[in-house]
Amino acid sequence: MGHAERIWLTLVGLTLAGAWLAETGHAGWPLAFVVAGLIAFKGRMVIDHYMEMTSANTRIRRVLHAFVVVVPLLVLFSHGWSDVLRRLTTLQ
Amino acid sequence: MASPPTPSPARAGGETAGAVPAERIYKHGRVPGNTGIWVGIFCVLVEFLLLFGVYFVAKAHHREAFLTGPDKLLTTAGVAITLLLLTSGYCMVKAVETIRRDERRKTLGWVVGAIVLGFGYPLIKFFEIRWNVANGIDGEAGIFYTTYYYLTLNHLVHVSWGLLGLLWVAVRTALGMYSARDHGGLEAAAVYWHTTDVIWLVIFPFFYVLR
Repeated sequence: MGHAERIWLTLVGLTLAGAWLAETGHAGWPLAFVVAGLIAFKGRMVIDHYMEMTSANTRIRRVLHAFVVVVPLLVLFSHGWSDVLRRLTTLQ
Repeated sequence: MASPPTPSPARAGGETAGAVPAERIYKHGRVPGNTGIWVGIFCVLVEFLLLFGVYFVAKAHHREAFLTGPDKLLTTAGVAITLLLLTSGYCMVKAVETIRRDERRKTLGWVVGAIVLGFGYPLIKFFEIRWNVANGIDGEAGIFYTTYYYLTLNHLVHVSWGLLGLLWVAVRTALGMYSARDHGGLEAAAVYWHTTDVIWLVIFPFFYVLR
């Protein structure tokens, strides 16, 4: 089995794990952490291995890596501090 | 985005130095595809960051709707789309790998495979939306579903552009217009296609998993 096949299998496995989580109907901090982790890890795998960013232009790589760091952080922020977000986005 | 090209083929990553045209090697490293596609990709990333902002704000204001919303959606459809996109992306990885070895017939096979799997996405989306509407989940079913249609249909539009790009690349591959030395167009289509993967990997948990 080659490198691309291993990456594909890992991504498929993590996707199925996410689907299982969805079916359990869990909510709360553990789910928010798992989802944030899955977005960061799967996103990073596609960026590094499918898009070959490990050997690519550093500026492009940093932007893509930042994308899969910022979005999971926003997931956690919106889960834990939704009151702050609601207050910041309410027109007085 | 990139500094003027400098002829330093040593930065080509896993490729042999002679297989990469010098014009794609920049001061800060190799640019997969071409610089134009990266302008487009960065625009797409910014656009979706804004759309994700809409999701987070809507969720903050309507906690209950986002807590129960995923229960009514077809998780199977979301999973199937994810698997199709990831497998189609894998086909494009193999297409780039094979063209670097000048195996043009194999490359065409992988690109066609990516297209066939990619077209599974709009097909599943069609049946998913039909099922949704039959079960009372339309754009006015509540804020969660409005946001769901807003983001997923937007993503579908970007995937459609990607599919058109892949069709173009398939035609050019069939005509023998790519080689180990010159396959920037194929690589550009591949990186755009993978970008739609990355964005879907965010959208999928937003609507089918996260509560």
